[in-house]
Amino acid sequence: MNKLFTKKSSIICFIFIPIIFLWHPNWIGFLGVQPYWPLFWLLPWSMINGSINGLIFGLFLGLILDSLTLDNNFTQIPGLILCGILFGRIKLHSHILVGHFRHGLICSFGSFLCGTLYFLQILFKNFSDGSFLLFIPSLKNILAEVFLTGLFAPFICSQLLMIFKFSKRKLQ
Amino acid sequence: MLDVRRISTSRWWHKKKSWFFLGIFVFLVFVRISKGSFYKDFYYFISKPFWPGQFQKEVILKSIDQESLIKLNLLKKDNRRLREILSLQESSSKDKISAAVISRKTGGWWRQIILNKGSKDGVEIGNIVLGPGGLLGRVNDTSLFTSSVTLITSPESKLGVWVDRIQINGLLVGLGDDFPSLILYSQDADIKVGDFVSSSPASTLLPPNIPIGIVHSIDKTLKSRKTAKILLLAKPQVIDWVQILKVNI
Repeated sequence: MNKLFTKKSSIICFIFIPIIFLWHPNWIGFLGVQPYWPLFWLLPWSMINGSINGLIFGLFLGLILDSLTLDNNFTQIPGLILCGILFGRIKLHSHILVGHFRHGLICSFGSFLCGTLYFLQILFKNFSDGSFLLFIPSLKNILAEVFLTGLFAPFICSQLLMIFKFSKRKLQ
Repeated sequence: MLDVRRISTSRWWHKKKSWFFLGIFVFLVFVRISKGSFYKDFYYFISKPFWPGQFQKEVILKSIDQESLIKLNLLKKDNRRLREILSLQESSSKDKISAAVISRKTGGWWRQIILNKGSKDGVEIGNIVLGPGGLLGRVNDTSLFTSSVTLITSPESKLGVWVDRIQINGLLVGLGDDFPSLILYSQDADIKVGDFVSSSPASTLLPPNIPIGIVHSIDKTLKSRKTAKILLLAKPQVIDWVQILKVNI
């Protein structure tokens, strides 16, 4: 049983993303906005397994999260795929302290990318009627999300990266 | 020796009685200086049960309550009868399902709540979800055990509403923040802050006369239409229990 956990830890963590996405714990949030949870998993996964895997699992994550949210017109898939590809091109760094801060920065950049792509979809769809009304709350959403994601990424990503690395070394 | 002691005991400050009287005197001086406020306060608490106003007020309030309850029932009956005559949609529905909120996304991009009653309990897509205060949203998707509700604040939500004071229909559009926008397609609609917004009798999605919100602020008039921000009566970010209303439209 223990062996199974160390081997499949990345997949087990993957299963928990939709759950935490649904759970939406309010005490972590800021202005009612949550950190963008899928990126915390996607960053270590892509860094270890490369761009192609990042792309595939970005697509999977997007599909799952889209099925959980009700907005049929908008999708999170493009943002997550792009993040998966970009994260895959980042090299693993040996310096621990630099690594922590780097994770924070990369994750906030990723969430900015995803937020902007999502916002562009909303803007594009509502272009005809009073799109300026949507502008302020959306901007607030993006900024709060970027801030929160950057804040939590050093804690979560580094841990996950360590776990994934460990499980991969065991496999080889 | 004995005599000395006798003399000493006969001093006035050795008598308990004189101290007692002194105490009373000081107390009375205090009462005098404070102009009897202590007495008055004491009297206030003693006489409280016998006040005429209090008792009268309770009786009057109770009868007002009864009066408005009877009036409400009469009006409800009247309303139903008139609606039947006009063959309008029925507003009273007995099919209510109570449900708890198990997941809540009220900030950020997605505005939805998930309830713990699903198709197993008879919830259908399009059912109305009410919270304490008024309308919350509509059921958008059901699974066997859960149902997902699109809140009125979601950018996906568009509903027909009725502004009662100026007797006009409008469109309530969610914007993705806490204040959905009311759009009135007439330039000279005399809408004011504080106007009450309820669901429209003409709406095909909602039963009529469900309270929704109050006009919070009015935006600039644009291209022959007026928009206003609505403060919702039901607060989705704090509500834990809701009612699902099954209506046949």
